[in-house]
Amino acid sequence: MGRGQKADKRQKNIRYFDYSLLLVVFFLICFGLVMLYSTSSYNGQVKFGDSAYYLKKQLVADILGIIAMAVVARIDYRIWKNFWLIAYIAALGLCVLVLFKGEEINGAKRWLDLGFVSFQPSELAKLAIIVFLATIISQMPRQLGKFSVLVKVMVMIMPMVVVVAAENLSTAIIIMGIAISLVFVASPKYMQFIVMGVIVIAFGALFIAMASYRAERILIWLNPEKYEKGYQTLQGLYAIGSGGLFGKGLGCSMQKLGFVPEAQNDMIFSIICEELGLFGAISVILLFVIVLWRFMVIASNAQDLYGALLVSGALAHISIQVILNIAVVTNTIPNTGISLPFISYGGTSVMFLLAEIGLVLSVSRGIQLEQE
Amino acid sequence: MLRNKTYNRRKLLVILAVVLLILAMLAGRLVYLMVFCSEYYGQKAEDLHERERDIKAARGKIIDATGTVLATNRTVCTISVIHSQIEEPEEVIRVLAKELEMEEETVRKRVEKVSSIERVKSNVDKEAGDRIRNYGLAGVKVDEDYKRYYPYGTLASKVLGFTGGDNQGIVGLEVMYEDYLKGKNGKILTLTDARGIEIENAGERRQEPIDGYNLHVSLDYNIQMYCEQAAKKAMEAKSADGVSVIVMNPSNGEIMAMVNVPEFDLNQPFTLIERDKKIEQDEQSPETEQKAEEKQDLLNQMWRNPCINDTYEPGSVFKIITTASAFEEGVVSLKDQFFCPGYKMVEDRRIHCHKRTGHGSEDFTQGIMNSCNPVFIELGLRLGVDNVYKYFEQFGLLDRTGIDLPGEASTIMHNKKNVGPVELATISFGQSFQITPIQLATTVSSLVNGGNRVTPHFGVSVKDDQGELIETLSYDIEEGIVGEETSQVLRTVLEKVVSEGSGKRAFIEGFSIGGKTATSQTLPRSANKYISSFLGFAPAEDPQVLALVIINNPQGIYYGGTIAAPVVKEIFSNILPYLGIEKDETAIKKEAEDSEN
Repeated sequence: MGRGQKADKRQKNIRYFDYSLLLVVFFLICFGLVMLYSTSSYNGQVKFGDSAYYLKKQLVADILGIIAMAVVARIDYRIWKNFWLIAYIAALGLCVLVLFKGEEINGAKRWLDLGFVSFQPSELAKLAIIVFLATIISQMPRQLGKFSVLVKVMVMIMPMVVVVAAENLSTAIIIMGIAISLVFVASPKYMQFIVMGVIVIAFGALFIAMASYRAERILIWLNPEKYEKGYQTLQGLYAIGSGGLFGKGLGCSMQKLGFVPEAQNDMIFSIICEELGLFGAISVILLFVIVLWRFMVIASNAQDLYGALLVSGALAHISIQVILNIAVVTNTIPNTGISLPFISYGGTSVMFLLAEIGLVLSVSRGIQLEQE
Repeated sequence: MLRNKTYNRRKLLVILAVVLLILAMLAGRLVYLMVFCSEYYGQKAEDLHERERDIKAARGKIIDATGTVLATNRTVCTISVIHSQIEEPEEVIRVLAKELEMEEETVRKRVEKVSSIERVKSNVDKEAGDRIRNYGLAGVKVDEDYKRYYPYGTLASKVLGFTGGDNQGIVGLEVMYEDYLKGKNGKILTLTDARGIEIENAGERRQEPIDGYNLHVSLDYNIQMYCEQAAKKAMEAKSADGVSVIVMNPSNGEIMAMVNVPEFDLNQPFTLIERDKKIEQDEQSPETEQKAEEKQDLLNQMWRNPCINDTYEPGSVFKIITTASAFEEGVVSLKDQFFCPGYKMVEDRRIHCHKRTGHGSEDFTQGIMNSCNPVFIELGLRLGVDNVYKYFEQFGLLDRTGIDLPGEASTIMHNKKNVGPVELATISFGQSFQITPIQLATTVSSLVNGGNRVTPHFGVSVKDDQGELIETLSYDIEEGIVGEETSQVLRTVLEKVVSEGSGKRAFIEGFSIGGKTATSQTLPRSANKYISSFLGFAPAEDPQVLALVIINNPQGIYYGGTIAAPVVKEIFSNILPYLGIEKDETAIKKEAEDSEN
């Protein structure tokens, strides 16, 4: 009871809430729905006889996500400190479960069938890892300078990374990226991260060389026109290239008509390029830059290290996904399945992303406008 | 509660800076893809989306000097099936097999094949196509198309040439004037989705076809017909391998007829003519590949135009050119006296005259009338190697004529270094080197027309189908290859050859005709094969038409004066009145006086 009163008082004193972030996120969501409808109407018509099929499903997920965001934003983010272990174990458990009971879609077991809706545990894992690491690290910042502690933290997240990597390498990479970013922010040192970076790159190269299908992906990346499996990449490039400066106009994409497979998923950015041109594509990137900038402002002014780390984790999460997605679509890096936050089709993804935004907004509520 | 430290903020700033840097690089990549590669990828994408249907352009006609169409187009149909639209496959198979006269199995294979569109048969007659269309079967498409058609079949087959499957010229004038004749195919472009379904309301882009231009040639249907009949008659009478006839206008190089019998049917260019068929059947080679190769060789042989593609030893007709050289160089005059004992010694070789007993004493005019070899050997020796080569070059004998037909053969001539007196002697009466018939006809034309080297040609002008002139084709004329006096001498002595000399079998009462006979033995000499030829022109004083007849390997009598000259006579007696060349009244009068005396 006493604690509640204190919280009320604080709110009255500060009255900060990052409306700019909220606005940009709403804009991204709406823009995403428009683009999703544009890209998916053909596929929806062909597969389900309903051009709004994907739009409807995404709209439901968006609404649920916004509700989750609103709820999380109102809850004091410090509460989640108490759930770090539960979150970690639950996410790990679900990720293990999906390996055995998962529903196979497009050749990958990534979905859990909950009867009324499919659920992707790896999306939960990303959020769980942010909460988990923010809690742990914020409790031992002084020891973080030591390399051994660094290793200890990495070892702790390894089970999650390995389990996720079994079915979904891209998400495992994102989880790793989030973890490294959080440790980096918390640690006062630089050098060890450079060393770690070199190790990770070496390890990655070995990993690729060991599996021939990954090496093949590299070849396709270098020369998508020569390989049958380069089809998706090539079709994406056709879409991007035919966009030109100002695009063909909303809804006028040709490549979405079955040429880019599942255009509403990971390749949606290529259709944005085709319809809205270079102008539209850069505007989308700028929207994400605004989001990241707001994250930066919130994290810098967060009341405590825990809040700052939560926001940093979200920042790392969204920036890695945006970068990897655009890099894949433009064939800057080899193909790997990563969705574009808020815009690509995918209910679980957008719900957890919005919950994450709720978390960030909750941190923003704790900011004191006048520094002591 | 742990505070958020300054270094945490700085580190976060580092992360954001790195992220922004990478995003900026990706934006740069986007600029590269969407500005600099836009055209490349855009074009590729468009190619992918567009379904192209050709609208064939009509190929231009080939029209002769009289306005007769020698090559035109006929509408034919292409029958295809669209698998997804077929409703009654059995009915479709039955009808198509019946109407197209194809095996049911073959049709079934095409009809049952799962493809967006499958061609069953092309080049189907329009009537059959119309009948199939009238069945109204779902999924069967009848597309109209053009096919080259030659109304006169074999007429001037080796000159006109024919076209291939895509209506492209393969040989003859068809390939030479391809650029004018072919036109430009039009297109219907429609957009489709990835499944190949056309998108409604996307509209279609249409590029209208541009029809090919008509080629007007100097060939004259009537003259060509006369010549072909005369040539056939001679070939049959003498059981010859072939007879070639060139009729041209010596003053401008326009070719009025070019016959090479046996001709082939232009509407079935891949069917061997009767004679070759027999050869093909006789040789029973088990390997089909070899057989196909053999057939191809025979076809190539059949398509050859010997007037242009083959060389031969011109023989005595070449004495015209030796005469021109000698007069031009001034080493002989009409009054010069010669003596022919039936041979002439050159170094240690005895070269015979065709008349072994000798022509005795004769002046130059009598020498050429007799076609006396020793006279011309003497002329050649007087000229010398350098002069002979000088005039070969000056008369254009060493270059190709530049005729507007493909594959013209070059002159085969001695290397100047190797020419001794014996070679010189043989060259002067037309042996031991080879030229094409068209080269001979063109060179003589140029010598008797006053000395202007003309370019032999068929193409006169290019017009569109409305008769609007697109281009007048022009050809080089090199003036003054011999002087007017030399040309005059040639016309006079050659007229004498026909009126009183070895070419008198080409004489037609009332016309003054110049000409020269020739009989040459082909290589190897041991085969005893001959080529008889006669070159004539009329009127002798002002040549307006020149004809060269070459009979290849005649049986029996093979003298040019005996068998080739009458062919020219037959041709001239038909075409001189046709060309409006009047009988010369004075000549008739003179003739009458002569007979009175």
